[in-house]
Amino acid sequence: MKIVRQRKAQAIIPTASMADIAFLLIIFFMVTTVYDVDRTNVALPFSYNRVLNEKGAAIVVIHEVPKSGVIEYKFSDGKNPSQPVPSPQEVYFEATRVASVDPSKQFVIKADAQVRYELVDEILDKLRQAGVANVLLLTQQEPGAKG
Amino acid sequence: MQFDRRTRTEAEIPTASMADIAFLLIIFFMVTTVFSATKGLELSLPSKEQDEQPAEQEDAVFIHVLPDQLLVDCKPMQPQDILTYLEPKLTRNPEKPVILYTDPQAEYKDMVRVYDVLAETKGDENPWPFTVKNISIPTQSEVEEYVQLFGQNPFEKQCE
Repeated sequence: MKIVRQRKAQAIIPTASMADIAFLLIIFFMVTTVYDVDRTNVALPFSYNRVLNEKGAAIVVIHEVPKSGVIEYKFSDGKNPSQPVPSPQEVYFEATRVASVDPSKQFVIKADAQVRYELVDEILDKLRQAGVANVLLLTQQEPGAKG
Repeated sequence: MQFDRRTRTEAEIPTASMADIAFLLIIFFMVTTVFSATKGLELSLPSKEQDEQPAEQEDAVFIHVLPDQLLVDCKPMQPQDILTYLEPKLTRNPEKPVILYTDPQAEYKDMVRVYDVLAETKGDENPWPFTVKNISIPTQSEVEEYVQLFGQNPFEKQCE
């Protein structure tokens, strides 16, 4: 009787679908990537109730630099990337410029949860003086909240 | 003389580096992608021309956010109990103003926490039989203006 010698199958990783997977991922990232006018890493306060901000809303950033504790202000008109501004008074000038063109424009306040309220209060006051009516306090979703 | 027949090279697109390029693009998008926050709490500011008189103390519910304490009409309270306290008052008078006065030294998140509780009564999924329509958030400069006019802070309820 003749014994057939079994051929050993070579161990290979199938790579035929690798390009498909790679392009699928590229398309996913390309579709979901949005251009953010402000990329400041801010520890936002939590809230259960949240509404979506308006497209092209102006942004005011109040950020406490870790360790040094220095307060940093940034402003974006919603079209251009946010730029550091030296003081709340400068936020007032910028907000006046934006609000004079479009008084109904939304202003988003992006502030660290831990900052003293007086800093936010000062910005709210400057925005009110600049004729801004529509403000959104940016928050992150409270853990366990739906939506 | 014998002519050599030229072997035709097949036309093909070189795809050897395609995977490298694809993964380079994936890594680029993975590194640059950030999940941007786009939601928050809405707030309407009064116009600068609007000459708003502060609501009379006895007519309003006064919420005072302190650095380590929350007082509602001078009573220490937890944020989750505010709406239970407001329910009978605002069911009787839906226009009753609620003054949210935050101490300058308190943290921003403390104010957001209380404002979030009040915002729960707005919107379609309001589980409460009332809505907090009239929320007043006095700014420090408004407070100073009133102190100059009245000699005392009208937003600060005198608790005994």
